[in-house]
Amino acid sequence: MIIVKDLTVERLDKKIFENINLSLASGNITILKGKNGSGKTTFLKTILNLIVPSFGSIYWKGKLLRTNLYDFYNNVTYIADKTTSLTKLNVKDNINIWKKIFLSNINDSQIEVALKTLKLENYLNQKVTTLSLGETKKLELLRLIIENKKIWVLDEPLSGLDDDSIELIKQTFEDHCAKEGSIIFSSHQNPGIYVTEEIHL
Amino acid sequence: MKFLKKIIFFYYREYKLNLSGIQDILTNIIFFFVSIFIFIFSIGPDKETISFIGVGIIWTLLLLSSTLSLRKFYQDDFENGNLLIMHLNGFSFGFIAILKTLSHFLFVQVPFLLSIPIACILLNIANDKLFFLFASFSIGSLILSCLGSISSSMNLMNQRNFLLGSVVVMIFSVPVIIFSVGIINMEESFNSLLNILFGILLIVFAINPWASGLCLKLSLENN
Repeated sequence: MIIVKDLTVERLDKKIFENINLSLASGNITILKGKNGSGKTTFLKTILNLIVPSFGSIYWKGKLLRTNLYDFYNNVTYIADKTTSLTKLNVKDNINIWKKIFLSNINDSQIEVALKTLKLENYLNQKVTTLSLGETKKLELLRLIIENKKIWVLDEPLSGLDDDSIELIKQTFEDHCAKEGSIIFSSHQNPGIYVTEEIHL
Repeated sequence: MKFLKKIIFFYYREYKLNLSGIQDILTNIIFFFVSIFIFIFSIGPDKETISFIGVGIIWTLLLLSSTLSLRKFYQDDFENGNLLIMHLNGFSFGFIAILKTLSHFLFVQVPFLLSIPIACILLNIANDKLFFLFASFSIGSLILSCLGSISSSMNLMNQRNFLLGSVVVMIFSVPVIIFSVGIINMEESFNSLLNILFGILLIVFAINPWASGLCLKLSLENN
């Protein structure tokens, strides 16, 4: 689905990373590993066409990504390393807004199940500002279920999560791949998630 | 149809956000009225003087009040990554700029528009001038929203000096003020001045998506 060829990104004449190759097919999971500041977020943003690479090219369904951009965006969910939930609103309002703006066809009972699994069902009427870091992260990851898209691009999805939640994420990744989905995520370490490819930056 | 739904739900989100932050809008309006009172007290009780410079006062305060809300134009959505999410949801940066400009007009400027009749009573402005004030402010405030969009998107890359954005808006709003106040004071030239104001609106409305869109893209790229 996504093919990255010889990707190099430079900023202010400094090479962030160079000659990175990647092939992300259906059912694959790729992990990006590297130290702080090694360019993991930059790489993910480059894949999303938010940063123009200095060299190399990215292909989506056999065509250059930038010529086929909105079709790619229709198939991708990006979870950044910060929360995109609206902190002034409560959890329920955030979920409703996400369901609407992403034109999600997921129904209320599916949301209820997901909330119970993530142990967020008791926080529905609480403002996002009152949630802990881990709970906010879990709420953010709920967007994966709501958007229901094939490719997940995740920046540090495991940071701030406890062991139970990480186990849950592992299970969710496996389920997604079983449904022909693909995942690329960045992380300092891999807590036992089965990956098809590892990229070191 | 899907795209239209996304636009409608974008405004639903903006409505929810503005409703939760209604105290900001109310504070702006309170600032507007308190400033009017300060003008009245500093000028003195002469009704004719107040009436003569009233329209100028309203326009100056509308400009100042609307620059107060500029910081919120893109900043929150930029910091929490929602601009990125909107873009990935199929909106180009230029289109996001148009949507946000109209949202600023609806949720920040329209409340001012509704409070103009009260300001007219306070400043002893004749009722027959109210229509001209409404007409000029409807167009003028949309111009201010467009200028606000450009300056706030430029400011996303400038984390040090936010006042620079307000200065940009104020400088470029000088022609708007000239023609808007002119509409009210020279009723015989109403059509020609309104056309000029409308022309300025079309120019800034055309420039806004390009300029703001580019600034949004650059700031997200360098964030």
